[in-house]
Amino acid sequence: MAVPVNPKPFLNNLTGKPVIVKLKWGMEYQGYLASVDSYMNLQLANAEEIIDGQNAGQLGEILIRCNNVLYIRGVPEDEEMENAGGGPGG
Amino acid sequence: MAAAAAGREEEESAVREPLDLIRLSLDERIYVKLRSDRELRGKLHAYDQHLNMILGDVEEVVTTVEIDDETYEEIVRTTRRVVPFLFVRGDGVILVSPPLRTT
Repeated sequence: MAVPVNPKPFLNNLTGKPVIVKLKWGMEYQGYLASVDSYMNLQLANAEEIIDGQNAGQLGEILIRCNNVLYIRGVPEDEEMENAGGGPGG
Repeated sequence: MAAAAAGREEEESAVREPLDLIRLSLDERIYVKLRSDRELRGKLHAYDQHLNMILGDVEEVVTTVEIDDETYEEIVRTTRRVVPFLFVRGDGVILVSPPLRTT
């Protein structure tokens, strides 16, 4: 049985790691979670926009306003690099 | 060892907040993605915690998709306008970033 993890510690532990943020409007942003604040505004580094499951552009450093976020999920490190490289296999 | 690690974690959460890094973009050109399929590129003069912003020399791009009744073809149009000085209400903001060089 897992020890309960609350939202704020979950987010703090996720900083510095690759994440995918899904917005309420359907788009997603993949990047390294640089920082979070008390409102859960998000800062991503090396962010890329994913629309309909397809890469729609590299944005670099972005701030996402908290109200747009549907969820945040951690992405395994090697998967993030594969997506960024766009290489075959997997 | 554990105390040092805990100290480092505390420092990380106290120093870097998302809005602190927008502050570094003051007087720089930025890209803002808004609701209603709008994008802005302009110089950031001011902002607040709501992400209300004052932008100067800003270009707004509105993207619309028309669907032809007969062919069901999707026609993507963009409409541009330039505004010298603009107040943006924060609740319409989706994301903020230094401008992309690709488009």
